This record gives sequence, C-alpha cells and structure tokens, in this order.
Amino acid sequence: MSTEDGEERQVPAEQAAALRRTLERVWPLVRRRHLFPELPSPRLGSSTSRVAMEIREKQITLNLDYAAEISRLIPAETVLTALLDHAVSHYTCCPWDLTTHLRLYARAKDILGDADQARKATDLFMDVVANTHAVKERQSPLPSLYRHAPRDHADEILCCLFENIWGMDLGAKDHRAEVRRLSAIPYLDKRRWPASLTRFIRGIRPLLEDAQAEAAQDQSGMGGHGFRQYRAEEIEQALREFAKEVDSPQKFVEIFEDIQNDLQASGHCDLEGMGYGKGCPVDANWLYYMKLAENYALPVKKIPMRDSGNLHPHSHRPWEIGQPVREVDPWSSFGKYLPGITQIWERREGEIFGVKEKTPDCLIIIDSSGSMVDPRARLSHAVLGAGCAADAYLRNDARVAVYNFSDAPAGGREHLPFTKSRALLYRVLCRYFGGGTALDLPEITGLVRDTEADIFLITDMQITNLDHTIARLSALHNRVTAVHVGKKPGALRFIKAAKRTPNISVFGVEKPADIPRIVLGSVRSYLAGGKAKKKIVEEPAYWSWTKVPPRRK
Amino acid sequence: MINPFEDFKDFQTEARALPLDRLAPAHDEAMAALTSGYTKLVEQEVKSLVWFVEHNRVIEAYTVACEVIRGLDYDGQHIEEFCYQLESGTAMPYLISGPAGIYISALCNHVPEDDMVLRLRHMQRQMHFLGYRLPHGKTLRIEGDTGNFTGAALNGGQLIVAGSSGDWAGAGMTEGKITIVKNCGRNTGEWMQGGEIWVGGRIHGLGRSVSGRIYQAGDPVTGRER
Repeated sequence: MSTEDGEERQVPAEQAAALRRTLERVWPLVRRRHLFPELPSPRLGSSTSRVAMEIREKQITLNLDYAAEISRLIPAETVLTALLDHAVSHYTCCPWDLTTHLRLYARAKDILGDADQARKATDLFMDVVANTHAVKERQSPLPSLYRHAPRDHADEILCCLFENIWGMDLGAKDHRAEVRRLSAIPYLDKRRWPASLTRFIRGIRPLLEDAQAEAAQDQSGMGGHGFRQYRAEEIEQALREFAKEVDSPQKFVEIFEDIQNDLQASGHCDLEGMGYGKGCPVDANWLYYMKLAENYALPVKKIPMRDSGNLHPHSHRPWEIGQPVREVDPWSSFGKYLPGITQIWERREGEIFGVKEKTPDCLIIIDSSGSMVDPRARLSHAVLGAGCAADAYLRNDARVAVYNFSDAPAGGREHLPFTKSRALLYRVLCRYFGGGTALDLPEITGLVRDTEADIFLITDMQITNLDHTIARLSALHNRVTAVHVGKKPGALRFIKAAKRTPNISVFGVEKPADIPRIVLGSVRSYLAGGKAKKKIVEEPAYWSWTKVPPRRK
Repeated sequence: MINPFEDFKDFQTEARALPLDRLAPAHDEAMAALTSGYTKLVEQEVKSLVWFVEHNRVIEAYTVACEVIRGLDYDGQHIEEFCYQLESGTAMPYLISGPAGIYISALCNHVPEDDMVLRLRHMQRQMHFLGYRLPHGKTLRIEGDTGNFTGAALNGGQLIVAGSSGDWAGAGMTEGKITIVKNCGRNTGEWMQGGEIWVGGRIHGLGRSVSGRIYQAGDPVTGRER
C-alpha cells in the first residue's frame, strides 16, 4: 500500500485475510450475475504496479494493495465486486476472445500507426465497452469504485465519459468538450465495434498523443489488457482466423510482431503447432501461411500399400469369463457373451498378408522463380496450396519432403528430406529465390525412386524444360498432382500432355477458393480405368479376416 | 426436493436504462438525415455527368444544399463525423469533392453553434470549398489541411485553418477573416472584394484581388506576386 508520502507498506495480515474471505463470499455472487462464466476462482495478490488487477490465462489476480487502499473509502465487498465485474465482463462481453481483440488492435494500428498508442486505444475502448456492459446488463457497482478510485488524466476523461453515458455522478472534472465526441458511440453493438473503435480513436487521439509525449503510465487504473491473458488454444484459433482476414502477409507480420513478446511471455512454446516459442525467433511469414493453411482441408486419396510391424487380428479363440471383452468378435455369438462359444481375436505382430489402404509420403515440388508471387509481399497461392497439401499428408500420418526450386541446375534450389515437422516444412516452402525456372529432373526422379511417394508439383508452368518435365513425370509410377497457378501457356501444354498420362492430375488455382478443389493423389485412372485401376482390381482394397489374401507382388 | 432454480428467484434480468441508449440512436438518426440530404444534392448534381467549378454552378449547388438541410437537427460533431464517413465511403453513395465541400459549408453555415471546430487532421483527402460563404458571427476552426477554394465567398465569418490550404483560398470573399496557419496555394485572394487573409507560412501565388488585404508571415503582400 502506498502512503501519501510515497513510502510502501505491507497490507496488515488481518486485513488481507478479511479481504480474502470477502472475495470467497463475493465470487459466487459475481459468477451468478454473469451467468456462470467458466473462469477459475480469482486470487488476491501483491503487485508492484498500481493497477487494480492482472489477468493471465484467464486467472484473475486482484491487487491486494489496491483493494486495501480503496476499501478504506468504500466497503470491501463493493470494491471486489466491481473489480470482478470489470474482469469478468472482458470475458463475457469485450473482447470476448483473442480473435476480436486482434481485430480491434489491427484496426487501431491501421489508424494510429503506432503500436503503443494502438494498444492503449484498444485497451481504453475495451474498458468502456466492458464497464458499460457490466453497469447496464449486470447492475455492477462499478460507478462506486470509479467515484472513489485514484485517477490519472486518462481516467479522469474516462470518468467524465462514463458520467455522460451512464447518467451518474462520478465526481469527474469537467472534460465535456473532450468526451462529447465519445458519448454517442454505440459501445454495446458488437457488430459495429470496428467502426465504433474508429470513432473512439478519433475522439481520444489528442489524449493518446499527449500521453505519449508526457511518457505517462501506459496502463489504465484497471490494468492493461495484454495478449498474454489468453490460452494456447485461443491463440491458435485467433491466429488462424486473423490470417484469413488480413489482406497481405505483411499485415499479419506487422501485427504478429507487436504481440509476439506477449505470446512468448505467456509461455506457449509449442513450436510445431504454434510456430513460436521462447528464445526462438519466428519468421512470421511462414507462421502466416501455416495458420492460413489450417483453414483448408484437402482430401488425400489413399492407395493400397504393404503394411507390417503392427499388431493385427490374426485368428479366433474362445472367450472365457474373466478375459477382457475388448477383443470380442461380436459376430461370433450375435452380440451375446457366451463363454466357450463367443470368439475373441488373437493378435499377431509382423508382416500381414494382403494390402491395406494408406497414405504414401509426399514430395512437394514448389516453384519459387521470379514469375511466382513473392510470399513475403503478397499472398502466394503456391505457398498456400503447398502448405495445404503438406498438412493433408501430415494429418494422414505420412511424411513430407520439399523441393523448392528456381533455376535448380544453376543451384537455385533447396531440398528438405522426408520429415513430419511442420515448422521445417513451412520454412522451406516460404523460401523465395526469384530467379529463372528449370527443374533438375534426374535429382527429382532420384528422390522418389523405389518409393511409393506421391509428387505434388505447384508452379505457374513457366518452366524452361517443361517438355522434359512432362516426359519424366509421365514415366514415373508415382501419383503426381500438378497445380498450375494462373493460366500461362505452359499450363495448357501441361494439361494437354497430362490427358495422355494416367498418373498425373492437374488442377488450377487462381484464388484461395480454388484450393479446396484440389484432391491430392486423385489419379484419373482410379475413376476412368487404366494402370492404377487395374492394380486395385487385382488386389482387394480391404483384406478379409477370414480369408488369407494373396501376398502382394 | 430442492428446486435447482431457487437461486435465481431474485435474479434481475432487466437491463438498466442508460443515457447511452438514447445518445447513440440519436446520433445515428442525425447522420442518416445528413446522408440523405447529401444524396439528394448529389442526385441533383450528377445529372450533368461532369461537375465543373463555375460561378453559377456553385451558387446553384449551394442553394440546393441549403434547401435539403432545412429542418435537419445536427451539430458540429455530426458534421465532422459526416466528413469522415464521406471519405470512408461506407455509408455514402459517392464523394464528389465540389458538391461535398459545398454541402459541408452549408451545414456549417446553418449549424446553431457560433464557434465550431472540425478536426479533419487525419483525413486522407482534403475537402474543397470549406468555409464557403461563412456568415457574420460564425467562427469555424478546421484542424488539418483543406483543399481548393477554402473560404471562397466568405461573408463576414472567421475561418481558421490549422494546416495548409490549396489554391484559390479566399476567392471572391467579401468580408471576414481567413487565417491559414501553414501555407496556401496559387491564386490566393482571386476576385477578393474585402476582408483579410493571414497566411503563417508561404503563399505560392496571389490572385487578382479587387480589394482586401493579404498577409504572409505578418507582412502585407496584397498586389505583389511571389
């Protein structure tokens, strides 16, 4: 607790205990008024800052010193209820989730240009919305708290605004000229929040500029709303949605860099999933494509493959009482458990006979020559499409390799061997060479020789040795999914040639909406006859338990 | 048996009535009225496909603007908001710079307030004809830059531009005072018949004024081409 002469002193133990007891009594009532939000019980803790509360991963921690100080002016119950109302309203009303928070912050950054000012403006706006919601919908005692809490200049103006829009006397100084523009904003209309924030910023811009000039404290009395208050799942989802909403990768990078420190401080270090972590600098470009690709799900057609090494049902043996029922074959006794009659599966390890449909590995060949879009500058459909393809194979437990090329024979290429690491894959996919376009065909055929790996080629078909490429790909037994970006003359040649080869499927992508139409490994001959179809007919697609299928040649 | 809803018997579901419930819809209503007025003016002006700045044309547009805003309930805050809405183009049909500026000037000239501030510093484009025919007893302060014909035909009012203005500032003004804190463009004070223009920065070119006084950084420059 700070005294008038500025010296710090501890809250007496009895008073702290009394406040904790009050908090325990008040919290169920607050939860009930807010219709039982799923939040952990709040805590009372000491803080070095003078803000009223901190929120980390949904855990509300009220500042003991602050609560004790205000409790001398108004009942402790009122103080704690008001603070909790404010905190809970952030979860139940504004910003509600990180997606909305990011959306508002991005709008503020667009208008203000400065990250600190944008953060402050967003915080103030969210405070006004959350408090107004609490006062209007939940009959919160927040006005009492605002009437007695210590205020800086920004809080004074907020109080004056609250007086205007709540119609209550909060004892604020007269700032009517400043708050006049802020008073007619529809704060509680969620659909209009972006437009309302724009108007709000226009009204408080002088205040923000003054605050920056005077290097005033960057948090309001209630505390700032950093991005570290969210959980990992929310961050995942928000980044995914934000990647879909922004116009360009730069915008995503700009906003991500602003919030990166907060996200890292919150301790989410799952680099594979999240794409960021402590002490690991992140190239936000590939994070953008990673999150954007998560919005699309491409289907992969499986192919008959050999399988070995796992436990597989092999034969029946009678089931007896006391044995686990998990392996019971329900067909053996028509759903009844009859000891000695009901059969149980015996599993065996080792190579099984026959084939089973599985997803093969995939080699992604991506063109990053000068004719392709630079993925750092604009949305590259090639990188997005390749990312979607990589995700589709990874989801099916297959491995993915990347061959990123420009003028490959001249050294303009990067090859990532088969891996299941998304982060590594996206790093290589987002590499941009920007040179000429030529494929090193012997090298590529060497990568897939003696494997059943699929090939996913994405390019604008402006390849110098396109005819040789077509001939080589046609000669392979691997399935090839070729995607052309845009409609260049080379694409027509490729489509024409692909009609004669059963293992190549061609798709065109001109906008992100075209990406879901790609079916990976969709070999035409599967549907319309040809080599691959013949293969399936000869070998049963699903092997039978009762008959031992012929060993695959 | 315990009633599980017993806890909620004193639960208040009714929302508290706040002044905000009245303020926000009133603002929206006023903005809708201003937009409707502008739409009427534009419908009138687009008939000739191309909008030229001609003396009669401007007078005619102003007359129509004054007619369409008659009876509207608005204030300076609404005018400022209207300027930003015009620029963003979300709620407006389209922005034609000339008629839009004349419409805003008509709104400023008929607003009940005598002193008005328009904070337009963060607008991406400048509006023309701001302060057109500003009458006696009115003071209009514009924060930000303005376009061409700022304070044209000023009619006794006081116009302060806290920024720069474009060409033809104060053209045809009869009386009043224009203060431009920064620079102004060419033909400043063209056909000016009275009043004063004070420019804090540099005047890029003077027009042929009939009467009145023009000052550049405190020095009288009337009649001298810079």
